[in-house]
Amino acid sequence: MSASPLQTAKRKIHWGDVSLQLFLIGVGLLVAMPIFLAIFTSFKLPDDVTNYPPTLLPEVWTVENYITAWTSTPFWRFFANSLIQTGVIVFFQVFLSILAAYAFSVLEFPGRDLLFYVILASLMVPFQLTFIPNFLTISRWGKEVHEALGPNTYFALTIPFLASAFGIFLLRQFFLTIPKDLHDSAKIDGASNWRFLWQILVPLSKGSISAFGIFSFLSAWSQYLWPLVITDEETMRTIQIAVRFFLFDQERGADWGAVMASAVIALLPTLLIFLVAQRQLVKGIAMTGLKG
Amino acid sequence: MSQSISTQEISRTHPAKTYNKNWQKVKAAIEGYLYLLPSLIILTIFVFIPIVTSFKLSLTRIAPFGNKTIDVGFGNYTRLFSDPDYLNSLKVSLLFTLSTVPTGLILAVTLAIALSYPLKRLSWFHRLLIFVPIVISSAVTGVLFKWIYHPVVGYLNYLLSLIGIQGPNWLSSKDWALISVAMAVVWRQLGFNVIIALAGIQNIDGTYYEAAKVDGANLWHRVRHITLPLLSPTLFFLFLINVINSLQTFGEINILTEGGPGGATNTMLYSIYYDAFVGTPFRGYASAQAYLLFILILIMSFLQFKGFGKKVHYQ
Repeated sequence: MSASPLQTAKRKIHWGDVSLQLFLIGVGLLVAMPIFLAIFTSFKLPDDVTNYPPTLLPEVWTVENYITAWTSTPFWRFFANSLIQTGVIVFFQVFLSILAAYAFSVLEFPGRDLLFYVILASLMVPFQLTFIPNFLTISRWGKEVHEALGPNTYFALTIPFLASAFGIFLLRQFFLTIPKDLHDSAKIDGASNWRFLWQILVPLSKGSISAFGIFSFLSAWSQYLWPLVITDEETMRTIQIAVRFFLFDQERGADWGAVMASAVIALLPTLLIFLVAQRQLVKGIAMTGLKG
Repeated sequence: MSQSISTQEISRTHPAKTYNKNWQKVKAAIEGYLYLLPSLIILTIFVFIPIVTSFKLSLTRIAPFGNKTIDVGFGNYTRLFSDPDYLNSLKVSLLFTLSTVPTGLILAVTLAIALSYPLKRLSWFHRLLIFVPIVISSAVTGVLFKWIYHPVVGYLNYLLSLIGIQGPNWLSSKDWALISVAMAVVWRQLGFNVIIALAGIQNIDGTYYEAAKVDGANLWHRVRHITLPLLSPTLFFLFLINVINSLQTFGEINILTEGGPGGATNTMLYSIYYDAFVGTPFRGYASAQAYLLFILILIMSFLQFKGFGKKVHYQ
């Protein structure tokens, strides 16, 4: 049963409920306000954006700022870059985590638990330590091996993130809850480990796998520091970096309408995921204590 | 029983079968390693080896002329503690943590208590609005708040003007820049903190509150003597993870202030980025800073992992 310190004895009048409703609606609107402001601003006429006093809603609704954002820089390219970068990371993180989690939960071989702890330990190494050596590694590969392995490539944007210790841990915990008999009887029926994994275990774990997929998508889409340092050609920038273009325009100063339009485009995919999968996402965070 | 004896007999009489069994084991081991291999390779190249190379790098610097690397021992580390810029970044990081973590936790617990009450209507709607920042990236957060903080047409200063206060130029004022960045980060973290705090509160056994009601305890007493003590493992976990997050803040700083004005928002991480990638790169010096930050974060995550078992136990 859910518990709340707010619960009081039997009440006849629900004034407590009413004031709590008002409080929560007020707080909720305040919290979500920065997003509303960005959306409303992005639909204002470019000339109205910096009017004083600022209005909440546009006087005239227009998509002019979106057209500016979309046409004055290769914006579709930034968006596509983000989609490719995120797609590759999510695919590999999910695929490789399934494989490793399977080995760590169902298969048996010497050194298994030791290796698991080694992988778990990697969760304690922050990206803030590894990004300088990783930048140097990629730069060296670009010079010494091949350009395609160097900076300003999709390879560089994605390769350090293709494996996820978090995902391995998460999926292993779930695979462990599946009865071992299932694997044993599949083996007796002559199914290989590979077939058991994809035909039985993965379909049974759809919930956990898709929850991890969502985490993976959110964190890949939101990446900032790595794309900022590993790309410097405009055509390889991701959308998170692109929001800077209208903000730090040296000649004209910030074009706030276009800035807000680009910010809304950048937050749209994750916002949609949130609206569709809110329950699953919240459950995943509450269960693991992690954001991915 | 009889079966195991017969297997033994067979293996004694037929050495080929033992060989076969061992071969099965070797095959199973190879298969297991193959499943792990891709993840292990990536983590080794991009996580494990960099722990070492980063340390090695921190013991070097680039000679002023040409591309020669000089070994300087612990020179970079000793230099850090007499470098006023670095000492300033330590101070900024400390202040930043102090201004984000307690604020974030107090807001999260308050809102989680309010959300824990089983309202009949609209509770999905409140959650939707309060949780939504979890999906907003740090870069977008920076942009959204830069607009709100705009000195002339920003909403914040406009609201302040309505109550007769002339708002400062938030991001270019030495006194306000760090607090401005901190508020943006508290906002982005809010949804996550509330979700964790709410899960902790909902795991508290309802009978405690029933008993307290019998004793006539008011809301403050119930929160003070039941909710907070029983929530303490969750709060400890949230405290550590928020400290780690505040040490890892980058996107908001980069977009809102770029470490300025005059180093007022130049945290330890921002200083690493600046020294390694802006202007003349001092990657050895930056790596020494990264190592110190690493040790700090390592201590926090170690405590967090130790406490993690407790948290799971509570669920």
